[in-house]
Amino acid sequence: MHRRSFIQGIAAASFLTATPWARAFQSDQRMALSVEQLPSLTGELTLYLGRGEGGLYEKVLDAIRDRNPDLDLRVRRGATAALANTLVAEARAGVRRADLFWAVDSGAIGLVTANGLAKSLPPELTSQLKAGFQYPQWAPVTGRIRTLPYNPQRIAASAIPDSIMALADSQLSIGWAPAYASFQSFVTAMRLLNGEQQTADWLSAMKARSTSYAGELGVVMAVERGEVDLGLANHYYSLRLKAGKPQANIELAFTKNDAGCLVNASGIVCLSENSTAVNFIRYLLTQEVQSYLASEAYEIPLVNGVSMPAGLPGLSSMSPPKLDLTQLADLRPTLDMMRDVGVL
Amino acid sequence: MQRIYKTSQRMVAGIAMGLAVASTSVYANGPIGEHVHQLQQHIPHYSEEVDMLIRQVDEVIATYADKGKQGVQSDVLIDYWEAVDFHAAIETSYVPVYALIWQGLFGVKDAIEKGKALQQVRQQQRLFETSLWQALGAVKLAAQYQQQGKLAQAGKENSPGTASQTITEINHRLDRVVAKAAEKLPQQAIDIVHSTYLNLFEGLEGQLIEQDASLVEGLEKDFNVTLPVALKEQADITIIRQIVTQMQTKLNQAQGLLNKAEKSTRDVF
Repeated sequence: MHRRSFIQGIAAASFLTATPWARAFQSDQRMALSVEQLPSLTGELTLYLGRGEGGLYEKVLDAIRDRNPDLDLRVRRGATAALANTLVAEARAGVRRADLFWAVDSGAIGLVTANGLAKSLPPELTSQLKAGFQYPQWAPVTGRIRTLPYNPQRIAASAIPDSIMALADSQLSIGWAPAYASFQSFVTAMRLLNGEQQTADWLSAMKARSTSYAGELGVVMAVERGEVDLGLANHYYSLRLKAGKPQANIELAFTKNDAGCLVNASGIVCLSENSTAVNFIRYLLTQEVQSYLASEAYEIPLVNGVSMPAGLPGLSSMSPPKLDLTQLADLRPTLDMMRDVGVL
Repeated sequence: MQRIYKTSQRMVAGIAMGLAVASTSVYANGPIGEHVHQLQQHIPHYSEEVDMLIRQVDEVIATYADKGKQGVQSDVLIDYWEAVDFHAAIETSYVPVYALIWQGLFGVKDAIEKGKALQQVRQQQRLFETSLWQALGAVKLAAQYQQQGKLAQAGKENSPGTASQTITEINHRLDRVVAKAAEKLPQQAIDIVHSTYLNLFEGLEGQLIEQDASLVEGLEKDFNVTLPVALKEQADITIIRQIVTQMQTKLNQAQGLLNKAEKSTRDVF
């Protein structure tokens, strides 16, 4: 295994010194590359794509196709978790159909990497990513942060605790969406960071003051209507609501260094020894694609040198917890706990 | 005239969607059978089945007219319908008419079980027969499309990519909700509503909220409250259909907004 990685490293290094775009990596600054610096993509590539932000990921794929007419990109779409299970089932059956898996959820990536399906990525590729988002076997593409959207007509920012655990002791009315996948990943993060007992106690205490909604957009809209003081939700719903309705009664608060400000990520895994697949990943990490997803989908760019979505402070001013995001695949104990406590 | 045109347009679009999702979807009555992949060569068989069903239902009603409800096992009506291949052919080709068949069949069954006047039973019978003929027409149309290669192969499912395709798929699944409600399978119908919301609509909400927050709010309520509650309470099928039609109108409005927004999105490169 080590030898294989070493050989791959040598091959990658030879390729790097031979190509002009590679020289950009050799500087100390690991800034996002421009698409102009990348090689053309040629040949066949099969991508399994977990459902993401409506048609915006499709526009990225179309743009890559338009730019690379010699690339035959085949896409299979589906729910992220279902595609991850399909990849594992295909591997067990001795079949490999996909070269790449682009998942909206790092938990699904955890399932694929835990089953030994992911190929190591060249270090000069992963080092383009921000600190804390560099993984040897997958590349986070964009991030989303857990936030506390609140209604400034009902509460002041100073009334909001900066600890997610302390929220259970506040007198605030809260909206949450326990059936929503991002919420369950957040509870998984809390389990991993704070332990089973504290998480179960927190869920029980929160249950008494929380109203459940089907999805996190519902949470954000309930906060905006003033049904609840504050909600638990990913950042982008609030930003999008503000974009469509600038006078919306909603602001964002963040906790500090706990699961309440977890930055989760969509990401991509290379499943075959195929240089085109690796180079395809480089396209997703370019200045252009990262900037497009930040401005159009309000996702957090995870490479250096790309602006955050409008309305969100810089990642450096946030303090997300240190956590291997692939550990979020450990969902079963979370669901069991949520059922035991009666929030699911 | 305009209304007829729109209805047939909707049927054509619905048929084009139908077989694409057929074999991987959950069906109430077991495997759908290979015959749906060769509709054209089975049309004579389906026609015979339609004639046979009409005859069987008529015989049950004749017995009811003669002996009253004690003389009739009304459950056989469901058995007759579930036994024919035509059942899967229309279920996979055009769900809205499939729902009408169930509605008509249960109309006859309920009227018999409640001992209603023969005239009222016959009225339900006419609705059932009309929907069967309409269904046969839809299957013939689907067969033509299949011959011309205009239908996706059953079992070759790929999830929708663009927002517009996603809304088309949502509308199709809502038609299935009506069908399951008409089959008197409320839990299956509710499961389809929930999975459609979580797996399809939820992915569009972000883009849509920028365009029209109140439209999203209305659809959120429809998906999570209005429709599931009506299904759980087993509301009359006409009410379920009305809710779904209103949702589809809103979704079509959403489709227009998203298409417009997509055109104004900047280029990636």
